[in-house]
Amino acid sequence: MLIETDILVIGAGPAGSSAAKHAALNGSEVILIDKKSEIGAPKRCAEGVSKEGLKKLKIEPSSRWVTKELSGVLMKAPNGTSVWLNEEKVKLPEAGYILERKVFDKHMAMDAARAGAKIMVKTLATGLERKDDSLIVTAETMGEEFKIKAKIVIGADGPESRVGRWAGLKTTIKPKNMESCAQFEMAGVKMDDPDSIEFHFGSVAPGGYAWLFPKGDDIANVGLGILTTETDKSAYQHLLEFVENCPATQNAQPVELNIGGDPVGGMLKELVTDNFMIVGDAASQVNPLTGGGIISAMEAGLYAGQVAAQAIRDDDCSKAKLKKYQERCEENIGKKFKRDLKVKEYLLSLSDEELNSIAEAFQDIELENINTAELIKNLIKVSPKALLKLGKLF
Amino acid sequence: MIVNEWCMYCGECAAVCPRSLIEVRENSLIFNEGCKECRICLKVCPVQALEKEEDSELS
Ligand SMILES: Cc1cc2nc3c(=O)[nH]c(=O)nc-3n(C[C@H](O)[C@H](O)[C@H](O)COP(=O)(O)OP(=O)(O)OC[C@H]3O[C@@H](n4cnc5c(N)ncnc54)[C@H](O)[C@@H]3O)c2cc1C
Ligand code: SF4
Ligand code: SF4
Repeated sequence: MLIETDILVIGAGPAGSSAAKHAALNGSEVILIDKKSEIGAPKRCAEGVSKEGLKKLKIEPSSRWVTKELSGVLMKAPNGTSVWLNEEKVKLPEAGYILERKVFDKHMAMDAARAGAKIMVKTLATGLERKDDSLIVTAETMGEEFKIKAKIVIGADGPESRVGRWAGLKTTIKPKNMESCAQFEMAGVKMDDPDSIEFHFGSVAPGGYAWLFPKGDDIANVGLGILTTETDKSAYQHLLEFVENCPATQNAQPVELNIGGDPVGGMLKELVTDNFMIVGDAASQVNPLTGGGIISAMEAGLYAGQVAAQAIRDDDCSKAKLKKYQERCEENIGKKFKRDLKVKEYLLSLSDEELNSIAEAFQDIELENINTAELIKNLIKVSPKALLKLGKLF
Repeated sequence: MIVNEWCMYCGECAAVCPRSLIEVRENSLIFNEGCKECRICLKVCPVQALEKEEDSELS
C-alpha cells in the first residue's frame, strides 16, 4: 500500500501536532502519525508552561487541561534556605500553569485534526528513503507494513529521534547534554506554598535540579533531572533519596512513575535538509536552563508548518527554501537558548556551600524593583565568579 | 543487550546511542547489529533497565 500526501509529520507530541495544524491551516494536505495507542501517554514531563508562551501561540487555556495556575517560584539551596519570587516580581518561566499533559497533547492533536490533518495512531515509522523529489517513509500499524510518499517529512519524534538520523541530520545527544529524569506524581504532598513551584539545587540532583510542581489539592509532580556524567547513581535512585528526605513528601504516596531524557545542550545546528525538517525535542529545542520544551516545541512547530506549506504552494521543497524555518527558530528560540546555556553552566559550577551563601544573601534582598544589572551586582558580591561567567551576558 | 522487564520505553538510551542502533517501539526495544560496547545507553537509563549479557553471566 502506498499513500501520498504533501506533508507527513512523524510524532504527535506538542511539536508534531503544532506543525501539522499550521501546515493544514495553510492549505497543505497533511498526515500525522504516532506510534502510541494513546497520544500523550505515558507523559515524560513535569507539565509546567508559561502563560506568556501559550498566549504567544494563541492557545486559550482550557479547564480540560490546566490543573493549576501558579503565582510564584520557590528556590531552595541545599541547606534549605529559600528564595521566593512571585509573579509580580518576575516572569515565571515554564510555570504559569501546570497542565495535564495526557489531555493537553490529545487536545493539540485534535486541533490539528480540526485544521484538516489526517491522524494515524499506533503507527510507527520504521525507515525513510529518498526518491526523486520526495521522501518515502515505511510505517507499520497493527502488524501491517505500508509506505507513505510525502513532498516534505517533518520529524517530530521526540528525543529518541531516528527520523532525523535517517534524513542525515546529526541528532544524537551526548550524555553530558542529556538530563536523565525520574518523577513521581504524588498525593499527600505538603508544599511550603501550594501556589508556587519549587526548585531544589545542589547535590540532591547532580548536574540538574529537583522540582515540585503542584497540580492542585495535595497533588504534585515530584521529580529530578541529573547528568549521568556527574553521578554513578541512576535518576530513579536519586529520586527515591530526594522523596525520602524532602520535608514536603514525608507523607506523600506515588500514583505514577515517569522517566525520560531531556536534551539540554542547546538547539541543533542543522534543522533542515532537502524535503525534510526537524522540530521539538528531536531538534533539541529545549530551554537548556529550565529543561522546558513544550512551548518552544510548539513555536518551532508553528514555524515549520507555515514554512512547509509555503514550500508546497511554491512547489519548491529544497533545503534552501526550508531554511527559512531554521532562520526563524534561530532568531526566536536559539538566541535565548544560547544565553540560558551560559547561565546554566554557571549554576552547575556552584558547590552546595556556594549555593547556600547565594541563597542566604538573596533571601533578604528586596527584589521588588530590582533590575537584572542590580541582581547581577548583588550576585557578584557573594559569588565573584559570576562576573566571569555571566558579566558579558547582561 | 538484556532489556529488563522494568524498562518503560522512554527512549533515552536511543537518544544517546552514538550508532543509532536502538529502536524504541511502544512496548519493546530492538537493538540493531553493530554495537561497539560503549555502554553509554546502560549509563543514561533512568531506571537501569539495560544489562550486558556478559555482566549477568559474571554475577
Ligand atoms: C521528566 C521531564 C520533565 C519535563 N518537564 C517539562 C516541563 O515542566 N515543562 C516543559 O515545557 N517541558 C518539560 N519537559 C520537556 C518536554 O516534555 C518536551 O520538550 C516535549 O514533550 C517535547 O515535545 P515533542 O513534541 O518534541 O516530543 P514528544 O512529546 O516526546 O513527542 C514525540 C512523539 O513522537 C512519537 N514517536 C517517536 N518515534 C516515532 C516513530 N518512529 N514513529 C511514530 N511516532 C513516533 C512518540 O510516541 C511521541 O508521541 C520535560 C521532560 C522530561 C523528560
Ligand atoms: S532508557 Fe531505560 S527505560 Fe528508557 S527505553 Fe532505554 S532501557 Fe528502557
Ligand atoms: S553500548 Fe553503545 S553502541 Fe552499543 S547499543 Fe549501547 S550506546 Fe549503542
